[in-house]
Amino acid sequence: MTERDDFLERLQRDARPLRYELDDVAVTRIRARVAARVQEEPSGVAAMLARWLRPAAASFVALVLATTLGIRWIQQSPEPASVDALLTSNSSVEVTIDGDTYTLAE
Amino acid sequence: VVSHREDDDPMEAKVIAAVKGGDTASYDYLVSKYMKRVVSIAWGLLRNAHDAEDLAQEAFVKAFQSIDRFRGGEPFGPWIYRIVTNLALDVLKHRRRFRHEEISDAIPAARRDRADLSAQANELARRIDEAIESLPEMQRAVARLHLVEQFDHSEIAAMTGLTEGTIRSHLSHGRAKLKQKLADLYGGSDD
Repeated sequence: MTERDDFLERLQRDARPLRYELDDVAVTRIRARVAARVQEEPSGVAAMLARWLRPAAASFVALVLATTLGIRWIQQSPEPASVDALLTSNSSVEVTIDGDTYTLAE
Repeated sequence: VVSHREDDDPMEAKVIAAVKGGDTASYDYLVSKYMKRVVSIAWGLLRNAHDAEDLAQEAFVKAFQSIDRFRGGEPFGPWIYRIVTNLALDVLKHRRRFRHEEISDAIPAARRDRADLSAQANELARRIDEAIESLPEMQRAVARLHLVEQFDHSEIAAMTGLTEGTIRSHLSHGRAKLKQKLADLYGGSDD
C-alpha cells in the first residue's frame, strides 16, 4: 500500500453512499430517548457528589454496624466475678498454688 | 485520506461546560450534532438499523454519565465515536459467542439488512458494500471506518484502541481482498 493509494481513494469516493443516513423521524425519536434517559441521571455536580458520597456513606454504615455489634457483644458477655462478690458469697473458694489446693472459707 | 474532524465549534465547549455544571438540557446540542454520524458508525459495524439506533442511544447516555472525565477543550466527536465503536465491537464479540449469531453472520449482511441500504446506495456502492462485508471481522470494521466513514488511521486507532500499525495491517490485508473482489470494476493489477 503506497502513501497515496489511488485504489483506496477511489473506493472511499465510491463508498460514500454507503453511509447510513438517519431520517428526521428517527433523529427525533433517538433524541427524545436520550433526553429522557439523561434526565433520569443525576446532574453533573450531583453525580460527582454521589460518586464521592456513596463509598463514604457505605464506610460509615459499616462502621456503625461494627460498633453496634461490638457494644452488644460486650454487653451480653458474662461479667467476671469480682473479688467483693467472691468474698461476700457463702460458698468457699479454692485456690491452687504450685499444685497445692487451699480452701478459703468465711 | 479525507479527515472528518469537525470544525472548531466554540458553542460545543460552552455546552460541555454547561452539561458538566448540571444543565442536562444542553446535552441535546451534542446529541443533535453527532447523532447521524454515530448511528452511521454503529450501523456500519452492526448492519442492523434497530441495533444501531439502540447502540447510539447507549453511547450518548454513557458519554453523559462520564462527562466529568471528558477533558475540556477537546472536541466531543472523537470521544463519542470511540464510545460507539467500542460498544459496537462488544456487540460483535457477544454475537460471535452465540451459535445462532454465528449462523446469521454467515449470511451476507447486505441481504440481512438490505432494506436499510436500498434507498441510498447505487449499484457500484452495493458491490463495494458486499465486498467489504465479505472480509473477516476486524478487517471489515477497519475498512468500513476508513472507506465509508472516512476516518484516517490514527482516528481509527483511537476509536478501536488498536495501534496504528495494527490498523494499517488490517487495512492492507482488506485492501488486497477488496482489490481482488472488485477487479472487474477497478482493474486487477496493483497500483
